[in-house]
Amino acid sequence: MSALSKETIRRDLRQFIIDSFMVGSEDETLNDTDSFLEKGIVDSTGVLELTSFIEEKYAFTIADDEMKPDNLDSVENLVRFVSGKKGL
Amino acid sequence: MKIHDLLTQAARRFPRKIAVVHQDQRATFEELQTFTDALVDYLKALPLQPGDRIGLLFENSIEYIYLFFAIQKAGFVVVPIDTSLKADKIAYILADCDARALFFHAKFRRSLQEILEHSPSLRFLISDSALKTNSGNIQTATLPEILSNSSPNRIAPETSPEFRPVDAPHELTAIFYTSGSTGIPKGVMLSHRNLISNTLSTVEYLKLAENDSVIVILPFYYIYGNSLLLTHIACGGSLVIDNRFMYPEVIMDTMEKEKVTGFSGVPSNFMILLNNTSFPQRRFPDLRYFTQAGGAMAPEVVRRLIDTFPQKETYIMYGQTEAAPRATFCPPERLRDKLGTIGIPVPGVEIKIMNDEGFEVADGEPGEIVIIGPNVMMGYWNQPEEQSQVLRDGRLFSGDLGRKDKDGFIFIIGRKKEIIKVGGNRVSAKEIEERLLENDKISEAAVLGVEDPILGEAIQAALVLKPGQAAEAKEIQKYCREKLAEHKVPKYVQFLKELPKYQSGKVNKLELAKSLKASN
Repeated sequence: MSALSKETIRRDLRQFIIDSFMVGSEDETLNDTDSFLEKGIVDSTGVLELTSFIEEKYAFTIADDEMKPDNLDSVENLVRFVSGKKGL
Repeated sequence: MKIHDLLTQAARRFPRKIAVVHQDQRATFEELQTFTDALVDYLKALPLQPGDRIGLLFENSIEYIYLFFAIQKAGFVVVPIDTSLKADKIAYILADCDARALFFHAKFRRSLQEILEHSPSLRFLISDSALKTNSGNIQTATLPEILSNSSPNRIAPETSPEFRPVDAPHELTAIFYTSGSTGIPKGVMLSHRNLISNTLSTVEYLKLAENDSVIVILPFYYIYGNSLLLTHIACGGSLVIDNRFMYPEVIMDTMEKEKVTGFSGVPSNFMILLNNTSFPQRRFPDLRYFTQAGGAMAPEVVRRLIDTFPQKETYIMYGQTEAAPRATFCPPERLRDKLGTIGIPVPGVEIKIMNDEGFEVADGEPGEIVIIGPNVMMGYWNQPEEQSQVLRDGRLFSGDLGRKDKDGFIFIIGRKKEIIKVGGNRVSAKEIEERLLENDKISEAAVLGVEDPILGEAIQAALVLKPGQAAEAKEIQKYCREKLAEHKVPKYVQFLKELPKYQSGKVNKLELAKSLKASN
């Protein structure tokens, strides 16, 4: 298992988003700054899946007031949020 | 008077007033009217026949509103489409109603090719930005191209005569597709009179006026969302669109920032707000009322809502797409002593509780809820048999069982049809069962609705696997996710050795529900 770094977080979260929400759209690129909402990648149920994945993988709880686009709505925002929580 | 006259009249009365807010975008009634008219000119120039169907696959936005009115003003029938549907279902709807044109939100471009491949009647595709298609038969255009030369027509404010629903023609203007009990979507045909009468009735009992504004979290393609759109255009109020309910705190910030006076939701919205957010601690000083429809909300949740916000008016409402949609509402001042009710008929509508022989039952006796009034749909598109089951002598047999108390308040006691109501969506058990049975590992499948504190009802699948096969719930859910819209994916999956059956071989779902409940 590789040590936790911003780059491993980025790689793992990108992979999760692509595997979970982009089935059948392999020709579409996912830029790290793309808004999941605007691109129609993640819906309300998807957000719950995403937060469950993060909580399980990175072993912290996401508070209700942390459930906001600034933290969760792009790969870039996710990396910043998770890295901050893990003190990276 | 036709449906687009609601916008025309509002634009005359309040030309410079804000009609829609969508994050940092705002549009006045005058601007909505201008864009509508520019689109009407474009649509009228296309080689289409009056009454042709035009699909509208757009997320809630300012564009949706003027497209909705323009299609109808140009003399066509608008077909709003659920944007969460898979491409095959969208194509089914377009083919079923023989749609000639489709307004398509580019954010759904991943589904586009599959939709086009299975929609043989489509000739025109209009999107908010340029799209690549491999289909040579389809002419494309973009909204920016069409609207590039339109500048606001300055409209001088004036008063307008009052609307009278009776003046509206009973002519087809919109088809809203809804899940049928067979799993095949049914196109509910609504006329100008259906929509206008129900809009004015709702404006009346909610006491809506031009100083009202509503936060719109419900999609406009859903008839309850459509009702928000029409009522607020009719009264000259404002629609504050926010499509981010997955981030409820963001929605509540928008409500406060935009000083909305109304919040309309389905049971799951209220459950999430009450249980998982700062909602109970906020005061929303500008908010006047809540409305709830889209399935039964548990009485204890209603009580929590009114206890948390005793100064706000809470309207519990009932209806269905076939009733355009509103049939009953409970006056807020009666809610506490009539907890569990769906209320009394909305203005202009009559409700009877009838037995299987077609006679009205006595107060307190159970029977089917039958809706009578100008809101009752014209019928189902191309489905005369389904139509004849619910529409008889202009009366709408709702399929819901209820009783009326001595004061005329109606209480729902069950449903005749096998439909599961998941967070406001009507889901056919049969459709999910059919998809499950397409899985190579599954030999038998039965799908039920189970009580759920958030969704109202959640989907439970009971499965029998083929000999020698093994599967996990997550695997089945993933499979369903690939085949079905997200809200149709079973929340619970259980594996059984066999399903209880009647002698006829049909699954005994009552018995199954009992045994699943016992095993939980």
